[in-house]
Amino acid sequence: MTNLVQKQKMNKYIVLLASVCLLIIGMILHVAVGSSAVSFTEVMKAIFAPDDSKQTTIVQTLRLPRAVLAALIGASLAAAGALMQAITRNSLASPQVFGVNAGASLAIVIAFILFPDLTSQSTVYIAFLGAALGGITVYLFASGGKITHVKLALAGMAVHLFLSSLTQGVIVLNEQATDVLYWLVGSINGKDWTHVKILLPWSFLGLLLAFGSSRSISILVLGENMATGLGEKVKWIRFFAGILVIMLAGASVAVAGPIGFVGLIVPHIARKLVGGDYQRILPFSALLGAILLVYADILSRFIAYPFESPVGIVTALIGAPFFLYLARKGRNIKQ
Amino acid sequence: MKQVKKIRLASVAAIVSILFVLAGCGSTQNSSKENSDNSQKVSVQHELGKTKVPKNPKKVVVLELSFVDALQGLGMKPVGIADDNKKDMIEKLVGGKINYTSVGTRQQPNLEVISSLQPDLIIADVQRHKAIYKELNKIAPTIELKSRESTYEENIDSFKTIAKAVGKEKKAEQRLNEHEETISKLKNELKEESGQTVLPAVVRDTSFQAHTSSSYDGEFLEKLGLKNAVQDKEAYAEMNLEQLSDINPDILILANNEGKLVTDEWKTNPLWENLKAVKNDKVFVVDRDLWTRFRGVISAEAIGKDTVKLLNNKQQ
Amino acid sequence: MKRKHPYQMLSILLLCLIITIVISLGIGAVYISPGEIFQQIIGSSPGSSFILTNYRIPRTLIAIVVGAALAVAGAILQGILKNPLASPDVIGVTKGAGLFAVFILIVCPTASMLLLPLSAFLGAAAIAVILMVFSYSQGAKPHTLALVGVALGAICQAGIQYFMIKFPDDVNTTLLWLTGSLWGRGWSELWMLIPCVVLVPVIIIFASKLDILNLGDEIAVGLGERTTYVRYTLLSMAVILTGLSVAVVGSIGFIGLIAPHIGRRLVGSRSKFLLPVSAAVGALFLLIADSLGRGVMPPVEIPAGIVTAVIGAPYFLYLLRREQKK
Repeated sequence: MTNLVQKQKMNKYIVLLASVCLLIIGMILHVAVGSSAVSFTEVMKAIFAPDDSKQTTIVQTLRLPRAVLAALIGASLAAAGALMQAITRNSLASPQVFGVNAGASLAIVIAFILFPDLTSQSTVYIAFLGAALGGITVYLFASGGKITHVKLALAGMAVHLFLSSLTQGVIVLNEQATDVLYWLVGSINGKDWTHVKILLPWSFLGLLLAFGSSRSISILVLGENMATGLGEKVKWIRFFAGILVIMLAGASVAVAGPIGFVGLIVPHIARKLVGGDYQRILPFSALLGAILLVYADILSRFIAYPFESPVGIVTALIGAPFFLYLARKGRNIKQ
Repeated sequence: MKQVKKIRLASVAAIVSILFVLAGCGSTQNSSKENSDNSQKVSVQHELGKTKVPKNPKKVVVLELSFVDALQGLGMKPVGIADDNKKDMIEKLVGGKINYTSVGTRQQPNLEVISSLQPDLIIADVQRHKAIYKELNKIAPTIELKSRESTYEENIDSFKTIAKAVGKEKKAEQRLNEHEETISKLKNELKEESGQTVLPAVVRDTSFQAHTSSSYDGEFLEKLGLKNAVQDKEAYAEMNLEQLSDINPDILILANNEGKLVTDEWKTNPLWENLKAVKNDKVFVVDRDLWTRFRGVISAEAIGKDTVKLLNNKQQ
Repeated sequence: MKRKHPYQMLSILLLCLIITIVISLGIGAVYISPGEIFQQIIGSSPGSSFILTNYRIPRTLIAIVVGAALAVAGAILQGILKNPLASPDVIGVTKGAGLFAVFILIVCPTASMLLLPLSAFLGAAAIAVILMVFSYSQGAKPHTLALVGVALGAICQAGIQYFMIKFPDDVNTTLLWLTGSLWGRGWSELWMLIPCVVLVPVIIIFASKLDILNLGDEIAVGLGERTTYVRYTLLSMAVILTGLSVAVVGSIGFIGLIAPHIGRRLVGSRSKFLLPVSAAVGALFLLIADSLGRGVMPPVEIPAGIVTAVIGAPYFLYLLRREQKK
């Protein structure tokens, strides 16, 4: 018996190690690949022994922040997804299905129309507001009894449609279509250290708090009866987790637009790899999310080579079929 | 209960009969044009076929800006323009106030207003208005030409076609000759800059859209002797700062959108400082309407004069 | 409020419809008074007849037919899926139509104008077929249909975005089509909707089966109904209605969602009454939306899809409060 447990623990460590390696490789690749290839040695030189060459400047000012951003956003969105799945005890939950993304983006689009000179900092707060409203709306719609998969999916889709048709209307009437469209799909293209500076505090705080409270979060998935027995505490945990979601997802949307499906897919893969304990799922989802988005961003550069495409397209093209797979499994998914 | 049922049946019947009557009216309505004798018409070949246009039309409705430019060049004023509700943009285009009726947006011109103007000729853009070609023809003879995605050469061809449609071919020839002269004059004034690479681009808050050698302004600038930094079959190319610094044009011409610009962020990056154009102080901001929206013989000349002014000022 | 008898309700709605038709025919860049309209019907007064017969009348008729079709499709779906939030838009049918249409718009822009509506209809049909295939193994249970529908919708959405990103030059035209509008739709588009006109009465007759289904599968089977077959038939009808509507006007949202709700509030859930009333409400809704879009700031037209979204949004929130109270 102990052998089995030990073996399982070994497995988990192997998986962890493999993931970290994958992430590092991914980030280096990310920095290296682009419209002008930068070789591996040049990348190392730029990071550890920078000089004034053009290559170094490119790596330092453009490529590196983008890679860091991809990892941060991936981690935040995945963690947010894991949190949502815990709060709602529903495997289809994610910031996107829950209208959090759509709410944040609508708020930002409206804000830009009304105040074109908005600073990036204020954008984050507006995103928070929109994210909260979006999430609450879907939650209210889907609750009233148990939040079944169906109720959630339909409610989320309905709210998403509602928000996105308003956004679409705004775009159509303003003829700024291409730009807003790219942003609405979610893109890390052209972001630099200023964006990283904006996102970092929120991501860092959110992730830290999430990992720290993962023990309490695991209470949420204990099941309806146990949760009721614990009463008040559960309500507060839920609320707290909700705030974390808004922080993580809202800040990500504010910086890069609503990148979808990361929060949906990653927790599932994490669960398959490390089991159902939230103390493991949360940090591992963050790690996996970072990997996913870094590689997705690399892929996104090849859709319309040599021009950039929004990374949201890649996550959508991977994620939507996965969503279908989840939908077909329906009720059979164990929480 | 029976009473209510009768009322219900009656109202349904009423609605259905009204609908039938209306439908009947519709199908018997013939097109409003009579078959006048063909000697009074000119057959014009355009992108969607041939249309018989009455000779010397007086009232013309145009659905794109380049057509306004063309008519202006032929000394005519359209009675209706699809101006996106921006009267001042039209004023800028023709250089003064003119009397016309707005027929709505270029994307979705209002068919009712167009028909109420009772025009003799309608000129539409084949890319935007292909779907309503039939509807437009019901109002008046319609020709559809390339405007929105036209190159410089195609634009000149459209000018000639329009001239044929309104019966001012001689004037068109004359105007085109003047145009050629103006171009050679401008080319001369730019002799010192000749051979340098130029990159016009439209700058928005998250994108930098370069205009290549296949774009309208790109092609025209090449006529003036300035090589375009990007030689491509596609007219537009989105680029980021990396790609821009690879291309490194001698001259940068930026048509800025309102509001935040992606170049504001780029200016803080050392890569921007190292661009040839930035170092030599050859980055110019120009009017977006003129450079990318208007298009036409007159507008091209205005672009040319603009270029000369900007570049020659730098020489001093 | 004492609930009126369903037939009375229907009559009131039809009356409203007639009045709205008359007003709507008058609205536009050029105002036409009811008197002139009446004269035109009689046959005299050629003055404004060109505008009336070529633009206003066909457009009004299209609004009525599409509004009714989408409303009925929504009512059917809400019945089959036993969920008040179901509608053709949510279930992915509209998105499927959109995907095929976008593909044609972008990849073959020089194709004949007939190809566009055809491809939209094919798209809707394709999604429906996939939906049915995927859910067959589970007996077409409502929750499977719903989930798979939403997922398929998400896939189509991703596809649409992919095309728009890869071919950015046509984004504006595509987006405009996707938003849904009655601009430029005339008699030739109206003929395409004839199957809808035929189908709606057929569905209303078939509607009693929907009620039996809602009693629960076991009871329904006990009563001799082949539940899967009935569900699929009704689904197909809903898809035809939606497919044709989207083919003609693009993807106009909310009608399929909201009209059945209003209908339910007015006459309850019996399909025999719910479907015709929903149809009337849907027709009224779209007609009003289109008229507003035309009349608010001529000569610019606001696409009807935007107006339905703007009107639909507050009502959607109101629905939310009611759901919460339950």
